[in-house]
Amino acid sequence: MGKITGIFILLCTLVSAENNMGPDKKQLQKDCLECHQKQQIPNEMVYRRYLSIYSTPVRIKEAMVAYLRNPQKEYSIMPPQFFLKFPMKENLNFEDERLIKDVELYLDAFDIKKKLTL
Amino acid sequence: MLRSEKKSLMRFLLIYLGSTFLLFSLASWVFYQYQRHQLIDQQRNALKYEAQQIKTQLHKLHESSDPQLFYPVHPPFASSIYDIDKNYIFGTIKGVHLLEESNYMKDETQLYYLDKVEPYFLGAAFLLVSKTLDTKSIVKLQEMMVWFMLGAGVFFALLGYFLGKLFIAPMRDSIKQMNQFIQDTTHELNTPISTILTNIEMLETFGKCQKSNELRRIEIASKTLSRIYDDLTYLNLNHHYHRHIECLDVSGIVRERAVFFSSMIEAKGLTLHLDIDPGVMLEMDRNDLVRLMDNLISNAIKYNKIKGLLHISLTREYFRIADEGIGIKEQDMENILHRFKRANNSEGGFGIGLDIVNQVVSSYGFVLSIKSKVQKGTEVEIRWEK
Repeated sequence: MGKITGIFILLCTLVSAENNMGPDKKQLQKDCLECHQKQQIPNEMVYRRYLSIYSTPVRIKEAMVAYLRNPQKEYSIMPPQFFLKFPMKENLNFEDERLIKDVELYLDAFDIKKKLTL
Repeated sequence: MLRSEKKSLMRFLLIYLGSTFLLFSLASWVFYQYQRHQLIDQQRNALKYEAQQIKTQLHKLHESSDPQLFYPVHPPFASSIYDIDKNYIFGTIKGVHLLEESNYMKDETQLYYLDKVEPYFLGAAFLLVSKTLDTKSIVKLQEMMVWFMLGAGVFFALLGYFLGKLFIAPMRDSIKQMNQFIQDTTHELNTPISTILTNIEMLETFGKCQKSNELRRIEIASKTLSRIYDDLTYLNLNHHYHRHIECLDVSGIVRERAVFFSSMIEAKGLTLHLDIDPGVMLEMDRNDLVRLMDNLISNAIKYNKIKGLLHISLTREYFRIADEGIGIKEQDMENILHRFKRANNSEGGFGIGLDIVNQVVSSYGFVLSIKSKVQKGTEVEIRWEK
Protein backbone atom coordinates (compact mmCIF):
# COMPACT_ATOMS: atom_id res chain seq x y z
CA MET A 1 0.00 0.00 0.00
CA GLY A 2 2.82 2.39 0.94
CA LYS A 3 4.62 1.69 -2.38
CA ILE A 4 1.48 2.41 -4.39
CA THR A 5 1.01 5.70 -2.56
CA GLY A 6 4.64 6.65 -3.19
CA ILE A 7 4.40 5.95 -6.94
CA PHE A 8 1.16 7.91 -7.10
CA ILE A 9 2.76 10.93 -5.41
CA LEU A 10 5.77 10.78 -7.77
CA LEU A 11 3.58 10.63 -10.85
CA CYS A 12 1.48 13.53 -9.55
CA THR A 13 4.64 15.58 -8.97
CA LEU A 14 5.95 14.89 -12.47
CA VAL A 15 2.64 15.77 -14.08
CA SER A 16 2.34 18.92 -12.00
CA ALA A 17 5.96 19.91 -12.84
CA GLU A 18 5.25 19.58 -16.54
CA ASN A 19 2.06 21.55 -16.17
CA ASN A 20 3.94 24.28 -14.22
CA MET A 21 6.60 24.66 -16.99
CA GLY A 22 6.34 28.05 -18.73
CA PRO A 23 5.55 28.28 -22.45
CA ASP A 24 9.21 29.22 -23.22
CA LYS A 25 10.56 26.20 -21.43
CA LYS A 26 8.00 24.01 -23.11
CA GLN A 27 9.06 25.36 -26.51
CA LEU A 28 12.73 24.74 -25.72
CA GLN A 29 11.98 21.28 -24.43
CA LYS A 30 9.94 20.43 -27.47
CA ASP A 31 12.12 22.00 -30.17
CA CYS A 32 15.58 21.16 -28.79
CA LEU A 33 16.04 19.28 -25.62
CA GLU A 34 13.78 16.30 -26.32
CA CYS A 35 15.94 15.25 -29.25
CA HIS A 36 19.17 16.15 -27.43
CA GLN A 37 18.13 13.97 -24.51
CA LYS A 38 17.26 11.07 -26.81
CA GLN A 39 20.62 11.33 -28.59
CA GLN A 40 22.39 12.03 -25.28
CA ILE A 41 23.98 15.20 -26.63
CA PRO A 42 25.78 17.03 -23.78
CA ASN A 43 24.09 20.47 -23.88
CA GLU A 44 26.36 22.00 -21.28
CA MET A 45 29.47 21.00 -23.21
CA VAL A 46 28.08 22.36 -26.48
CA TYR A 47 27.18 25.68 -24.83
CA ARG A 48 30.62 25.99 -23.16
CA ARG A 49 32.37 25.27 -26.45
CA TYR A 50 30.42 28.03 -28.17
CA LEU A 51 31.11 30.30 -25.21
CA SER A 52 34.86 29.68 -25.33
CA ILE A 53 34.97 30.59 -29.00
CA TYR A 54 32.42 33.43 -29.35
CA SER A 55 32.47 34.97 -25.87
CA THR A 56 29.21 36.97 -26.05
CA PRO A 57 25.60 35.69 -26.27
CA VAL A 58 24.99 37.81 -29.38
CA ARG A 59 27.93 36.25 -31.24
CA ILE A 60 27.01 32.74 -30.03
CA LYS A 61 23.45 33.26 -31.19
CA GLU A 62 24.61 34.34 -34.67
CA ALA A 63 26.91 31.31 -34.94
CA MET A 64 24.26 28.84 -33.70
CA VAL A 65 21.53 30.21 -35.95
CA ALA A 66 23.91 30.05 -38.93
CA TYR A 67 24.68 26.39 -38.14
CA LEU A 68 21.07 25.39 -37.51
CA ARG A 69 20.01 26.87 -40.84
CA ASN A 70 22.64 24.75 -42.54
CA PRO A 71 23.64 21.90 -40.21
CA GLN A 72 26.83 20.63 -41.81
CA LYS A 73 30.24 19.77 -40.42
CA GLU A 74 31.94 22.77 -42.02
CA TYR A 75 29.55 25.17 -40.28
CA SER A 76 29.97 23.52 -36.91
CA ILE A 77 32.53 24.37 -34.30
CA MET A 78 32.33 20.95 -32.67
CA PRO A 79 35.39 18.67 -32.98
CA PRO A 80 35.32 15.87 -35.64
CA GLN A 81 35.12 13.23 -32.88
CA PHE A 82 31.77 14.72 -31.87
CA PHE A 83 30.25 13.68 -35.17
CA LEU A 84 31.62 10.19 -34.81
CA LYS A 85 29.77 9.79 -31.55
CA PHE A 86 26.60 11.73 -32.33
CA PRO A 87 24.47 11.64 -35.50
CA MET A 88 24.57 14.57 -37.92
CA LYS A 89 21.80 17.02 -37.21
CA GLU A 90 18.85 17.13 -39.56
CA ASN A 91 17.63 20.42 -40.93
CA LEU A 92 14.87 21.70 -38.65
CA ASN A 93 13.20 23.84 -41.29
CA PHE A 94 11.94 26.20 -38.61
CA GLU A 95 10.95 29.74 -39.39
CA ASP A 96 13.65 32.31 -38.56
CA GLU A 97 11.71 33.79 -35.71
CA ARG A 98 11.18 30.42 -34.07
CA LEU A 99 14.76 29.37 -34.64
CA ILE A 100 16.14 32.56 -33.10
CA LYS A 101 13.77 32.28 -30.16
CA ASP A 102 14.86 28.65 -29.59
CA VAL A 103 18.52 29.62 -29.61
CA GLU A 104 17.85 32.49 -27.20
CA LEU A 105 15.99 30.11 -24.88
CA TYR A 106 18.81 27.58 -25.14
CA LEU A 107 21.43 30.22 -24.28
CA ASP A 108 19.37 31.49 -21.39
CA ALA A 109 18.87 27.99 -20.03
CA PHE A 110 22.58 27.30 -19.89
CA ASP A 111 23.74 30.85 -19.16
CA ILE A 112 26.92 30.54 -17.11
CA LYS A 113 26.39 33.88 -15.36
CA LYS A 114 23.55 32.29 -13.44
CA LYS A 115 25.94 29.70 -12.03
CA LEU A 116 28.72 32.05 -11.08
CA THR A 117 28.95 33.09 -7.48
CA LEU A 118 31.51 34.74 -5.23
CA MET B 1 85.91 86.57 13.50
CA LEU B 2 86.00 89.82 11.55
CA ARG B 3 82.95 91.15 9.74
CA SER B 4 84.56 90.81 6.29
CA GLU B 5 85.75 87.32 7.21
CA LYS B 6 82.22 86.32 8.25
CA LYS B 7 80.82 87.78 5.05
CA SER B 8 83.29 85.85 2.88
CA LEU B 9 82.63 82.63 4.78
CA MET B 10 78.88 83.08 4.49
CA ARG B 11 79.13 83.76 0.75
CA PHE B 12 81.32 80.72 0.24
CA LEU B 13 78.99 78.52 2.29
CA LEU B 14 75.97 79.85 0.44
CA ILE B 15 77.43 79.06 -2.98
CA TYR B 16 78.97 75.76 -1.90
CA LEU B 17 75.94 74.47 0.00
CA GLY B 18 73.51 75.82 -2.58
CA SER B 19 75.22 74.07 -5.48
CA THR B 20 75.73 70.87 -3.45
CA PHE B 21 72.09 70.92 -2.39
CA LEU B 22 70.92 71.39 -5.97
CA LEU B 23 73.14 68.57 -7.23
CA PHE B 24 72.11 66.23 -4.42
CA SER B 25 68.44 67.07 -4.81
CA LEU B 26 68.62 66.26 -8.51
CA ALA B 27 70.52 63.00 -7.94
CA SER B 28 68.19 62.04 -5.07
CA TRP B 29 65.12 62.79 -7.19
CA VAL B 30 66.39 60.59 -10.02
CA PHE B 31 67.29 57.83 -7.55
CA TYR B 32 63.91 58.14 -5.80
CA GLN B 33 61.98 57.96 -9.07
CA TYR B 34 63.97 54.92 -10.18
CA GLN B 35 63.44 53.12 -6.84
CA ARG B 36 59.75 54.05 -6.79
CA HIS B 37 59.27 52.58 -10.26
CA GLN B 38 61.07 49.45 -9.13
CA LEU B 39 58.75 49.08 -6.15
CA ILE B 40 55.66 49.65 -8.29
CA ASP B 41 56.95 47.19 -10.89
CA GLN B 42 57.31 44.56 -8.15
CA GLN B 43 53.64 45.05 -7.30
CA ARG B 44 52.72 44.92 -11.00
CA ASN B 45 54.52 41.60 -11.29
CA ALA B 46 52.39 40.33 -8.41
CA LEU B 47 49.31 41.41 -10.40
CA LYS B 48 50.56 39.48 -13.45
CA TYR B 49 51.14 36.39 -11.35
CA GLU B 50 47.67 36.70 -9.86
CA ALA B 51 46.21 37.03 -13.37
CA GLN B 52 47.87 33.75 -14.36
CA GLN B 53 46.43 32.05 -11.28
CA ILE B 54 42.94 33.32 -12.02
CA LYS B 55 43.17 32.24 -15.67
CA THR B 56 44.05 28.71 -14.57
CA GLN B 57 41.07 28.70 -12.24
CA LEU B 58 38.79 30.09 -14.95
CA HIS B 59 39.82 27.18 -17.15
CA LYS B 60 38.87 24.75 -14.39
CA LEU B 61 35.54 26.50 -13.83
CA HIS B 62 34.82 26.45 -17.55
CA GLU B 63 35.11 22.67 -17.55
CA SER B 64 33.31 22.15 -14.28
CA SER B 65 29.84 20.67 -14.22
CA ASP B 66 29.10 21.82 -10.68
CA PRO B 67 25.75 23.56 -10.25
CA GLN B 68 27.55 26.55 -8.66
CA LEU B 69 30.80 27.98 -9.98
CA PHE B 70 32.77 29.87 -7.35
CA TYR B 71 34.63 32.80 -8.88
CA PRO B 72 38.25 32.92 -7.60
CA VAL B 73 38.77 35.69 -5.03
CA HIS B 74 42.21 36.20 -3.47
CA PRO B 75 42.46 39.29 -1.28
CA PRO B 76 44.08 41.81 -1.49
CA PHE B 77 43.55 41.33 -5.21
CA ALA B 78 40.30 42.17 -6.94
CA SER B 79 39.41 40.96 -10.42
CA SER B 80 36.70 40.90 -13.04
CA ILE B 81 36.14 39.22 -16.36
CA TYR B 82 34.88 40.94 -19.52
CA ASP B 83 33.64 39.58 -22.82
CA ILE B 84 35.15 40.29 -26.24
CA ASP B 85 33.13 43.54 -26.50
CA LYS B 86 34.52 44.60 -23.09
CA ASN B 87 31.21 44.14 -21.32
CA TYR B 88 31.37 43.16 -17.66
CA ILE B 89 30.61 39.49 -17.01
CA PHE B 90 31.45 38.84 -13.39
CA GLY B 91 33.94 39.71 -10.68
CA THR B 92 34.76 41.92 -7.73
CA ILE B 93 35.61 45.07 -9.70
CA LYS B 94 32.54 46.90 -10.89
CA GLY B 95 31.96 50.11 -12.80
CA VAL B 96 35.43 50.33 -14.28
CA HIS B 97 35.85 51.37 -17.87
CA LEU B 98 38.52 49.23 -19.51
CA LEU B 99 41.46 51.06 -21.06
CA GLU B 100 43.67 49.93 -23.91
CA GLU B 101 46.89 49.69 -21.85
CA SER B 102 47.71 46.49 -20.04
CA ASN B 103 49.31 48.27 -17.06
CA TYR B 104 47.95 51.43 -15.56
CA MET B 105 47.37 53.24 -12.32
CA LYS B 106 44.40 55.34 -11.22
CA ASP B 107 44.44 58.14 -8.62
CA GLU B 108 48.05 57.17 -7.80
CA THR B 109 46.62 54.55 -5.43
CA GLN B 110 45.09 51.74 -7.50
CA LEU B 111 47.11 49.45 -9.75
CA TYR B 112 45.42 47.66 -12.65
CA TYR B 113 46.56 44.89 -14.94
CA LEU B 114 44.51 43.93 -17.97
CA ASP B 115 45.20 40.51 -19.46
CA LYS B 116 43.72 38.70 -22.45
CA VAL B 117 42.04 35.32 -21.95
CA GLU B 118 42.22 32.80 -24.75
CA PRO B 119 40.19 30.70 -25.34
CA TYR B 120 37.33 32.65 -23.77
CA PHE B 121 36.83 30.60 -20.62
CA LEU B 122 33.38 31.40 -19.22
CA GLY B 123 33.10 33.81 -22.14
CA ALA B 124 35.86 36.02 -20.74
CA ALA B 125 38.11 37.65 -23.32
CA PHE B 126 39.66 40.07 -20.82
CA LEU B 127 40.67 39.72 -17.23
CA LEU B 128 41.20 42.81 -15.12
CA VAL B 129 43.17 42.41 -11.91
CA SER B 130 43.53 45.25 -9.45
CA LYS B 131 45.26 45.95 -6.20
CA THR B 132 45.61 48.96 -3.93
CA LEU B 133 49.13 50.31 -4.17
CA ASP B 134 51.12 49.29 -1.11
CA THR B 135 52.55 52.63 -0.09
CA LYS B 136 54.46 51.32 2.94
CA SER B 137 57.58 50.58 0.94
CA ILE B 138 57.33 53.94 -0.87
CA VAL B 139 56.89 55.83 2.41
CA LYS B 140 59.90 53.93 3.77
CA LEU B 141 61.87 54.97 0.70
CA GLN B 142 60.80 58.60 1.18
CA GLU B 143 61.87 58.49 4.83
CA MET B 144 65.21 57.02 3.81
CA MET B 145 65.67 59.81 1.24
CA VAL B 146 64.88 62.49 3.83
CA TRP B 147 67.37 60.99 6.31
CA PHE B 148 69.95 60.69 3.56
CA MET B 149 69.44 64.34 2.53
CA LEU B 150 69.63 65.46 6.15
CA GLY B 151 72.79 63.41 6.75
CA ALA B 152 74.37 64.66 3.54
CA GLY B 153 73.30 68.22 4.40
CA VAL B 154 74.94 68.10 7.83
CA PHE B 155 78.06 66.43 6.42
CA PHE B 156 78.46 68.95 3.60
CA ALA B 157 77.66 71.88 5.88
CA LEU B 158 80.45 70.81 8.24
CA LEU B 159 82.78 70.09 5.35
CA GLY B 160 81.93 73.47 3.80
CA TYR B 161 82.52 75.24 7.09
CA PHE B 162 85.98 73.69 7.52
CA LEU B 163 86.84 74.25 3.86
CA GLY B 164 85.68 77.85 4.11
CA LYS B 165 87.78 78.41 7.22
CA LEU B 166 90.72 76.87 5.39
CA PHE B 167 90.25 79.10 2.34
CA ILE B 168 89.89 82.34 4.28
CA ALA B 169 92.81 81.53 6.58
CA PRO B 170 95.34 83.47 4.39
CA MET B 171 92.97 86.46 4.28
CA ARG B 172 92.48 86.28 8.05
CA ASP B 173 96.24 86.16 8.60
CA SER B 174 96.78 89.18 6.33
CA ILE B 175 94.10 91.18 8.13
CA LYS B 176 95.52 90.13 11.48
CA GLN B 177 99.01 91.20 10.41
CA MET B 178 97.69 94.51 9.08
CA ASN B 179 95.79 95.18 12.28
CA GLN B 180 98.82 94.29 14.34
CA PHE B 181 100.93 96.61 12.22
CA ILE B 182 98.44 99.48 12.62
CA GLN B 183 98.27 98.81 16.35
CA ASP B 184 102.06 98.84 16.70
CA THR B 185 102.47 101.88 14.46
CA THR B 186 99.84 103.92 16.27
CA HIS B 187 101.35 102.94 19.60
CA GLU B 188 104.81 104.05 18.44
CA LEU B 189 103.39 107.30 17.00
CA ASN B 190 101.60 108.29 20.17
CA THR B 191 104.65 109.30 22.19
CA PRO B 192 106.38 111.56 19.59
CA ILE B 193 103.08 113.27 18.64
CA SER B 194 102.23 113.97 22.26
CA THR B 195 105.76 115.28 22.83
CA ILE B 196 105.56 117.65 19.84
CA LEU B 197 102.12 118.99 20.83
CA THR B 198 103.14 119.46 24.48
CA ASN B 199 106.29 121.31 23.50
CA ILE B 200 104.42 123.62 21.12
CA GLU B 201 102.06 124.52 23.96
CA MET B 202 105.03 125.03 26.32
CA LEU B 203 106.70 127.26 23.76
CA GLU B 204 103.51 129.35 23.54
CA THR B 205 103.06 129.49 27.31
CA PHE B 206 106.56 129.77 28.73
CA GLY B 207 108.61 130.87 25.73
CA LYS B 208 106.27 133.83 25.34
CA CYS B 209 107.10 133.84 21.70
CA GLN B 210 104.75 134.79 18.90
CA LYS B 211 103.59 131.81 16.83
CA SER B 212 105.65 131.86 13.69
CA ASN B 213 104.24 130.34 10.47
CA GLU B 214 106.69 127.47 10.77
CA LEU B 215 105.52 126.73 14.31
CA ARG B 216 101.87 126.90 13.22
CA ARG B 217 102.54 124.47 10.41
CA ILE B 218 104.22 122.09 12.84
CA GLU B 219 101.17 122.41 15.10
CA ILE B 220 98.75 121.67 12.25
CA ALA B 221 100.78 118.69 11.08
CA SER B 222 101.00 117.36 14.60
CA LYS B 223 97.26 117.74 15.17
CA THR B 224 96.56 115.96 11.90
CA LEU B 225 98.84 113.14 12.98
CA SER B 226 97.18 113.10 16.37
CA ARG B 227 93.73 112.83 14.79
CA ILE B 228 94.81 110.01 12.50
CA TYR B 229 96.22 108.26 15.53
CA ASP B 230 92.91 108.67 17.37
CA ASP B 231 90.93 107.39 14.40
CA LEU B 232 93.11 104.34 13.95
CA THR B 233 92.99 103.57 17.65
CA TYR B 234 89.21 103.99 17.60
CA LEU B 235 88.80 101.58 14.68
CA ASN B 236 91.24 99.12 16.16
CA LEU B 237 89.63 99.02 19.59
CA ASN B 238 86.08 99.49 18.42
CA HIS B 239 84.93 95.98 19.32
CA HIS B 240 86.72 95.79 22.66
CA TYR B 241 86.15 99.36 23.79
CA HIS B 242 83.85 99.86 26.75
CA ARG B 243 81.72 102.92 26.13
CA HIS B 244 80.96 105.26 28.98
CA ILE B 245 77.57 106.76 28.19
CA GLU B 246 76.98 110.10 29.86
CA CYS B 247 75.00 113.25 29.28
CA LEU B 248 77.25 115.41 27.12
CA ASP B 249 77.10 119.12 26.41
CA VAL B 250 77.28 118.81 22.60
CA SER B 251 77.27 122.62 22.14
CA GLY B 252 80.41 122.94 24.26
CA ILE B 253 82.18 120.03 22.58
CA VAL B 254 81.45 121.39 19.07
CA ARG B 255 82.90 124.77 20.08
CA GLU B 256 85.90 123.02 21.62
CA ARG B 257 86.56 121.01 18.43
CA ALA B 258 86.20 124.15 16.33
CA VAL B 259 88.92 125.73 18.44
CA PHE B 260 91.05 122.56 18.06
CA PHE B 261 90.83 122.92 14.27
CA SER B 262 91.21 126.73 14.30
CA SER B 263 94.85 126.66 13.20
CA MET B 264 93.92 124.49 10.18
CA ILE B 265 90.98 126.75 9.36
CA GLU B 266 93.22 129.80 9.55
CA ALA B 267 95.94 128.14 7.47
CA LYS B 268 93.43 127.53 4.65
CA GLY B 269 91.94 130.98 5.00
CA LEU B 270 88.45 129.64 5.62
CA THR B 271 85.61 131.69 7.02
CA LEU B 272 83.98 129.82 9.88
CA HIS B 273 80.30 130.36 10.63
CA LEU B 274 79.29 128.83 13.91
CA ASP B 275 75.57 128.64 14.44
CA ILE B 276 75.33 126.69 17.68
CA ASP B 277 72.28 126.58 19.92
CA PRO B 278 73.35 126.55 23.55
CA GLY B 279 72.53 123.69 25.86
CA VAL B 280 72.23 120.85 23.31
CA MET B 281 72.68 117.70 25.42
CA LEU B 282 73.00 114.08 24.27
CA GLU B 283 73.49 110.73 26.01
CA MET B 284 76.68 109.52 24.36
CA ASP B 285 80.21 108.31 24.87
CA ARG B 286 82.52 111.32 24.71
CA ASN B 287 85.07 109.61 22.48
CA ASP B 288 82.35 108.65 19.99
CA LEU B 289 81.10 112.24 19.79
CA VAL B 290 84.62 113.66 19.43
CA ARG B 291 85.47 111.19 16.64
CA LEU B 292 82.20 112.06 14.91
CA MET B 293 82.82 115.82 15.07
CA ASP B 294 86.55 115.65 14.30
CA ASN B 295 86.06 113.58 11.17
CA LEU B 296 83.26 115.74 9.81
CA ILE B 297 85.09 119.01 10.59
CA SER B 298 88.46 117.83 9.27
CA ASN B 299 86.83 116.55 6.04
CA ALA B 300 85.04 119.85 5.57
CA ILE B 301 88.36 121.71 6.04
CA LYS B 302 90.41 119.31 3.93
CA TYR B 303 88.10 119.25 0.91
CA ASN B 304 87.04 122.94 1.15
CA LYS B 305 88.37 125.47 -1.33
CA ILE B 306 90.94 128.03 -0.15
CA LYS B 307 89.24 131.00 1.48
CA GLY B 308 85.96 129.14 1.30
CA LEU B 309 83.10 129.12 3.78
CA LEU B 310 82.72 126.57 6.55
CA HIS B 311 79.31 126.58 8.15
CA ILE B 312 78.67 124.57 11.29
CA SER B 313 75.22 124.56 12.83
CA LEU B 314 73.90 122.69 15.82
CA THR B 315 70.35 122.53 17.15
CA ARG B 316 68.43 120.12 19.37
CA GLU B 317 67.32 118.33 16.16
CA TYR B 318 70.46 118.15 14.09
CA PHE B 319 74.13 118.86 13.52
CA ARG B 320 74.97 120.21 10.08
CA ILE B 321 78.30 121.05 8.46
CA ALA B 322 78.59 122.58 5.00
CA ASP B 323 81.62 123.49 2.91
CA GLU B 324 82.25 125.05 -0.46
CA GLY B 325 84.70 122.42 -1.59
CA ILE B 326 85.13 120.04 -4.50
CA GLY B 327 82.03 118.00 -3.66
CA ILE B 328 81.42 114.30 -4.33
CA LYS B 329 80.43 112.76 -7.66
CA GLU B 330 77.01 111.15 -7.75
CA GLN B 331 78.42 107.71 -8.64
CA ASP B 332 80.75 107.85 -5.60
CA MET B 333 77.96 108.67 -3.15
CA GLU B 334 76.93 104.99 -2.81
CA ASN B 335 80.30 103.79 -1.50
CA ILE B 336 81.48 106.92 0.27
CA LEU B 337 80.67 105.47 3.71
CA HIS B 338 82.72 102.30 3.18
CA ARG B 339 86.08 101.91 4.86
CA PHE B 340 89.17 102.78 2.77
CA LYS B 341 86.91 104.39 0.14
CA ARG B 342 87.95 107.84 -0.96
CA ALA B 343 86.03 109.88 -3.47
CA ASN B 344 88.99 112.14 -4.08
CA ASN B 345 92.68 111.40 -3.79
CA SER B 346 93.85 115.00 -4.04
CA GLU B 347 94.10 115.20 -0.24
CA GLY B 348 95.81 112.84 2.16
CA GLY B 349 94.01 110.30 4.34
CA PHE B 350 93.08 106.66 4.57
CA GLY B 351 89.40 106.80 3.79
CA ILE B 352 88.37 105.82 7.31
CA GLY B 353 86.77 109.12 8.41
CA LEU B 354 83.26 108.59 7.04
CA ASP B 355 83.39 104.94 8.03
CA ILE B 356 83.85 106.04 11.64
CA VAL B 357 81.07 108.61 11.24
CA ASN B 358 78.76 105.92 9.85
CA GLN B 359 79.60 103.51 12.67
CA VAL B 360 78.85 106.10 15.35
CA VAL B 361 75.64 107.23 13.64
CA SER B 362 74.45 103.62 13.24
CA SER B 363 75.26 102.59 16.81
CA TYR B 364 73.30 105.55 18.26
CA GLY B 365 70.44 105.32 15.77
CA PHE B 366 71.01 108.77 14.30
CA VAL B 367 70.15 109.60 10.70
CA LEU B 368 72.95 110.63 8.39
CA SER B 369 72.36 112.43 5.10
CA ILE B 370 74.89 113.81 2.64
CA LYS B 371 74.08 116.29 -0.09
CA SER B 372 76.82 117.22 -2.49
CA LYS B 373 77.37 119.02 -5.77
CA VAL B 374 80.64 118.77 -7.63
CA GLN B 375 82.65 122.03 -7.36
CA LYS B 376 79.84 123.57 -5.25
CA GLY B 377 80.28 121.90 -1.89
CA THR B 378 79.05 119.24 0.45
CA GLU B 379 76.56 119.35 3.27
CA VAL B 380 76.48 116.62 5.90
CA GLU B 381 73.58 116.48 8.30
CA ILE B 382 73.08 114.24 11.31
CA ARG B 383 69.64 114.19 12.83
CA TRP B 384 69.49 113.08 16.45
CA GLU B 385 66.08 111.50 16.02
CA LYS B 386 65.80 107.78 16.86
